[in-house]
Amino acid sequence: MSGFIIQRLLQAILVMAVMSVIVFAGIYSIGNPLEILLPPEATQDVRERTIARFGLDRPVVEQYFYYIRNLLQGDLGRSYIYNEPVLHLISGRLPATIELVLVSVLGALFVGVPLGMLAGYRPDALSSRIIMAVSILGFSVPTFWVGLILILTFAVQLGWLPSGGRGDTAELFGTAWSFLTLNGWSHLALPAINLALFKLAIMIRLARAGTREVMLGDTVKFARAAGLSEWTIMSRHVLKLISIPIVTVFGLELGSTLAFAVVTETIFSWPGVGKLIIDSIKNLDRPVMMAYLMLTAGLFVTINLVVDLVYAILDPRLRKGGAA
Amino acid sequence: MKDPAIKPLPGGAPKAVSPWRDLWWRFCEDRVALFAFGVVVLLVLMALFAPLISPQNPYDLSGLSLRDARRPPGFVGSGGYTHILGTDAQGRDLLSAILYGLRVSLQIGITAGAVALVIGTSIGIAAAYARGFVEAILMRIVDLQLSFPPILLALVLVALLGQGQAQLVTALVAAQYAYFARTAFGAASAERSKDYVEAAAATPLSARRIVFRHILPNAMPALIVVATVQIAYAIALEATLSFLGLGLPVTEPSLGMLISNGVKYMMSGRTWISVYPGIMLIILIVAINMVGDHLRDILNPRLDK
Amino acid sequence: MKKTICSLVLASVMGMSAVAASAETLTVGVRGGPESMDPHYSALGPQADAVKHIFDPLVWTGDDLQLEPGLATSWKAVDADTWEFKLREGVKFHDGSTFDAEDVKFSIDRIPKVTGPTTTEIYVRRVKQVEIVDPYTIHIHTDGTAATLPYDFVRLFIVSSDAAKDYSTAETSAEGFNSGKATIGTGPFKYVSWEPKGSLVMERFDDYWRGAAHWEKVVRREISDDSSRLAALKAGDVDVINYVSSADYLSLGTDPKIKTFLGDSVYVMNLQLDQREVTPKVRAKDGSKLDKNPLRDARVREAIDIAIDRQTMVEVVLEGLGKPANQMMPAGFFGSSEKIPTPEYNVDKAKALLKEAGYPDGFQIDLHCTNDRLPGDGAICEGLGQMFAQIGIDTNVNAISKTVYFPTQARKEYSVFMNGWGTLTGEASYTLGSLAHSPNKEVKMGAFNRIGYKNDEVDKLMQAGVQEADADKRRALFEQAMEKTMADRAYISIVVLQSVWAGRSDKVVVTPRADEETLAYFIKPAK
Repeated sequence: MSGFIIQRLLQAILVMAVMSVIVFAGIYSIGNPLEILLPPEATQDVRERTIARFGLDRPVVEQYFYYIRNLLQGDLGRSYIYNEPVLHLISGRLPATIELVLVSVLGALFVGVPLGMLAGYRPDALSSRIIMAVSILGFSVPTFWVGLILILTFAVQLGWLPSGGRGDTAELFGTAWSFLTLNGWSHLALPAINLALFKLAIMIRLARAGTREVMLGDTVKFARAAGLSEWTIMSRHVLKLISIPIVTVFGLELGSTLAFAVVTETIFSWPGVGKLIIDSIKNLDRPVMMAYLMLTAGLFVTINLVVDLVYAILDPRLRKGGAA
Repeated sequence: MKDPAIKPLPGGAPKAVSPWRDLWWRFCEDRVALFAFGVVVLLVLMALFAPLISPQNPYDLSGLSLRDARRPPGFVGSGGYTHILGTDAQGRDLLSAILYGLRVSLQIGITAGAVALVIGTSIGIAAAYARGFVEAILMRIVDLQLSFPPILLALVLVALLGQGQAQLVTALVAAQYAYFARTAFGAASAERSKDYVEAAAATPLSARRIVFRHILPNAMPALIVVATVQIAYAIALEATLSFLGLGLPVTEPSLGMLISNGVKYMMSGRTWISVYPGIMLIILIVAINMVGDHLRDILNPRLDK
Repeated sequence: MKKTICSLVLASVMGMSAVAASAETLTVGVRGGPESMDPHYSALGPQADAVKHIFDPLVWTGDDLQLEPGLATSWKAVDADTWEFKLREGVKFHDGSTFDAEDVKFSIDRIPKVTGPTTTEIYVRRVKQVEIVDPYTIHIHTDGTAATLPYDFVRLFIVSSDAAKDYSTAETSAEGFNSGKATIGTGPFKYVSWEPKGSLVMERFDDYWRGAAHWEKVVRREISDDSSRLAALKAGDVDVINYVSSADYLSLGTDPKIKTFLGDSVYVMNLQLDQREVTPKVRAKDGSKLDKNPLRDARVREAIDIAIDRQTMVEVVLEGLGKPANQMMPAGFFGSSEKIPTPEYNVDKAKALLKEAGYPDGFQIDLHCTNDRLPGDGAICEGLGQMFAQIGIDTNVNAISKTVYFPTQARKEYSVFMNGWGTLTGEASYTLGSLAHSPNKEVKMGAFNRIGYKNDEVDKLMQAGVQEADADKRRALFEQAMEKTMADRAYISIVVLQSVWAGRSDKVVVTPRADEETLAYFIKPAK
C-alpha cells in the first residue's frame, strides 16, 4: 500500500514538474512583457535597467530555475501589473468567484434535477419535450451571448437589476460576501443565471437519463406493486438512485464552472479570478499567469491523487494493477 | 462538455448485419431529430456553396465600401442590390458574411472534431490494445486532461500559440481529444477482453486486422455521438474565444467573430449586426446537438423497449 | 435562522438608505483603474488619472496640456543644466503635516527604488541630483541641458516623506500604499479603500489648497467593457463614464437623461512604412519576391497617402469621433505646424503614381495593427485594407492584440503597420524624438523608430531643439522637423482621435481634458 502511495505521489510530482516547464516555456515564448509594459519615453538605459531589475535579461533556463527556487520556498512572485504578491491577489478575488460558482451550480442543481426527473418520468409528454428543448438551448447558446441579452433586457431596458459589479457585501469569516445583503443578491442574480444555464442543461439531462433507466428497473416495479404513490416513488426511491451520478458530476462541474466563470465575469465585471486571468494574459503579467496555471494544475492533480488513493483503499485489486 | 456521452457505452455492438442501415431506420423514427438532421445538412450545404449563393464576396476588400457600413436590413447599397439582413461595420453584406462565417465556423468545428477523433481514438485503442504500462501512462494523461476545463486549456493555448486558424484548431483539438480517447478506450477494452480477440491477439501478425475489423467498428457508434457533441462544442468554444478577444483575425470572421464585432452596436439599437449571426450560430449548434442527442438515445441499449 | 433573516433584511435596508442619503457622492465608471496606490509604481494613464485625486503632481497641466503652477508655483532655468523650482507655501498633507522641499526630493529619489515595469523613471530620467536651497526652493541638476524638464514633471507625484518613509522599497511599497498607511498626499481627496480592478473609494479633503471639492465622497468603479459601462450609466449605477464608444456616441444624443462631453485626445493613428532595404511583409501579387522594397520609393508612399479617404474614416469608421490628421500631433501642440497640408484623397492619382514607380498592377502587403488598444484601431485598419485594395495594393489585414503586436513590432518583423501614438506631454520632443529621429543611443532618441527612417535634417533639428532653452526658437525647430518628417511620408498620419465622456444631465458637467483624465474635483454639479 505505501509503495502504491509513493508511486502515485511521485507521479503527481512529475506531472507538476512537467507542467511547470511547459507553462513557463509557453509563457516565455509569447514575448517579453516589457515590450508592452514599458512606457514610450523610456530611453535605452532606462529600458535596460528595468529589464535587468525584473531578471528578464537572463537566459530562460536561469529564469526558470530562479522561479522554481522561489516557488519551492512558497513565493509565487509579485504581479508585474499590481506589485502585490500573486497569492494575495488571487486569494483576494477568489471568494467572489467561489460565491458566483456555488450559487449558480446549486441553483442549477435544485431547478435542474426536478425538471429532469419530470422529463424522465413521462418522456413523451409535451412538458417533457419542452423541458428537453430548453435544455438543448441551454446547452447550445453561448454563455457570452446570453449574458449580453440579460444585461440588455433586465438592466438597460427594464432597469430591474444592476448591470454589473458586486454590490454591497457583508462580512462572514473575515471575508466579504454578496449573498448576505439584498443589494448583493440583486447584483448576483444576472451573472448567476448566466453561469447556471449551461449547468442547468447538464443537470436536466443527467436526471432525465437516470430517471428513465430507473423507471424501467425493478425497484419501481416493486414499489408500484407495493402500492406506493407515484410521488413517494419519485421523491424517495428514484431520487436516491439517481443521486450518485449527479453528485459525482456536480463535483466535477464545480471545477469546470470555476474556469467557465471567466466569460461571465468579463461581461458582468464581476471582480473574480477569471477576469484577473484574462487581463493577465492580455498584459503578459507572467507571475500571475504562472501562478494561476500552477495552482489550477496543482488542484486537479491533487483531486486525482485523492480519488486514486480512495479507490485504492476501496478496491485492493487496483493496487496490483497500478503497480504493473 | 462533460456529460453522459463521455461514459463508454457498454456493449453497443450492433448486429453484424448492416448496423448502419439499422441505425438510420431507428434514427428516422423520431421526426424532430430527422428535422434537426435536415437542418444540419442544409446548413452544411449552404456553407459549402456560400460563394455561389451569397450576393457578395465579403472577403474581397476591393468589393466593399465603407459608405455602406451599418445599414439596416433592406438597405440598397452601392452594389445595387438589397442587403436583406443589413450590413456590418465594414460595409459587408451581412447575409454574405453570415454564410461565409458559417463556412469558417463549420470548417473549424469539423476540422478540430475530426483531428481530435483520429488522435483520441488512436490513443484510446492503443491503450486498450496494449494494456499494462502503456495503458497506465496514456490513460493517466487523458484522465488528467479530462479534469482540466477545456475552455481554460484553449484559452491558454491560444495565448501561447498566437492567433490564427491553425493555432485555434490546435487549441481546440488539445482541449477535446481526451473525450474521444476515453470513449474509444471504454468501447475497445470491452471488446478487447472478449475471448476471440484475446485469442487473435496471441498471433501478432493480425494486430492491425483485429483493430480495424473488430475493435474500431464496435467503438464507432459511441464515437460518433461524441463527435457530434464535440463539433458543436468546438464551434461554441471558438465563438467564445472570439468574444474574449482571443479568436481568429477579424478580416475573415467566423460566426462567433461576427457576433462579437456586432455586440458593441447593441446599445445603440443596431442589433441586427450581432443578432442575425447569433441566430445562425444558435440554430447550427442546437441542430447538431439534437442530432447527437437522439443518436445517443437510440444507441443506448438499456433504453431499448 | 429567524435572527439571520432579520439581520439580513436590516443590513440590506441600511445599505439602501446609505445610497439614498449621500446625494453628494460622485460615482464614476472608468474603463481602466490604477495598478497601485503608490503613485510612483506605474506611468500608465489610468494610474495617473486615479492617483491625481489623492496626490498632486509638481507641475500642473491644464485641460489642453498647457503647463500651469501646481505644487511648484514657478520655475526657470538658472544655467545650462540647472532648473530652479519655487514651491507653494501653506500646502497641507492629509495627515495635517506641511508640504516642503524635503517631500519633493524624497519623491524623486524614491522613484527608481519602487517603480514597476511601466516605469516612472521616465519622469526623472534627466535628473542627476536634487538640491534643497530652502524649504520652498529646489534646484534640479540635470544630465546635460534638459530644456523640456518641466514637461517631465507633470506626472511627478509628491508623497509625504514622513508617511512613506518606511514604505519605499519594491517589497514594502504595495503594502504601505494599498493599505492606506502611506497614502497621504496633498490632493483634493483622501484615500479610503481600493482593491485591484475594484472600486477606488475616496472622501473629501477639506484643507485642499485649491479649496474643498464639491463632492463629499468619490467612488471610481472600474468597468472595462464599453457596453457594460454605458449600461451602468443608463441604469443609474454610475453618474459619469469615460471613453464612450464611437458606436454609442450618436445614439446618446437622443437621450435627454444623458449628456455627452466631447474633447480632442492626444492620440493620432499613424501608418508606418518600413524604410529598410529589405522588408519582410511586402511581395509581388503572385507571392514572389520583389527586387527592392517599394516603400522606399517616394511615389509609392505618396500613392498610399492619398489613397486614404480620411473623411470616410472619421465619418463612417469612427462615427464622427475623430478628425482627419496631417501630422503626428494634434493641432495646437508645442511643435505642431500649421503649414502642413492635409493630403487630398485621389484614387486616380494614386494609381498613376504607382504606375510611374513601376508597379502598374500594384503589389501585396501584410498590414498589421492593434485591435484592442485604442477606440477604432481595428476598424481603421480594416478600412485601410479596403482603401489600399482600390489602388491595386492587395492587403492582408492583421488586426491583432497589442500583446502580440508590440513585441513583434519591436523585433521589426512588420513592413506596413499602424498604431496610435499619444503625445502625452503635449510637445514634440516626446513624439518626434521617439519616432522620427533615427535610433541613436548616444542622444537617447529614436527608441520607437521601428521603420529604419533616417533623415539627417530631422535628426539635426531635433538634437538642436532639445538643447534650445528659448521656447520660441525651440518651437520653430520642432515645427520644421515635423514638416520635414511628414513630407517624407514614411509616417502617414490618418486621424486624431476624440474622446467622449457621458454623465447624468441632472447631476454633472464634465470639462474634457486632452490627457483624457476624469478628475472628480473638476467635475461640476449641474446648474
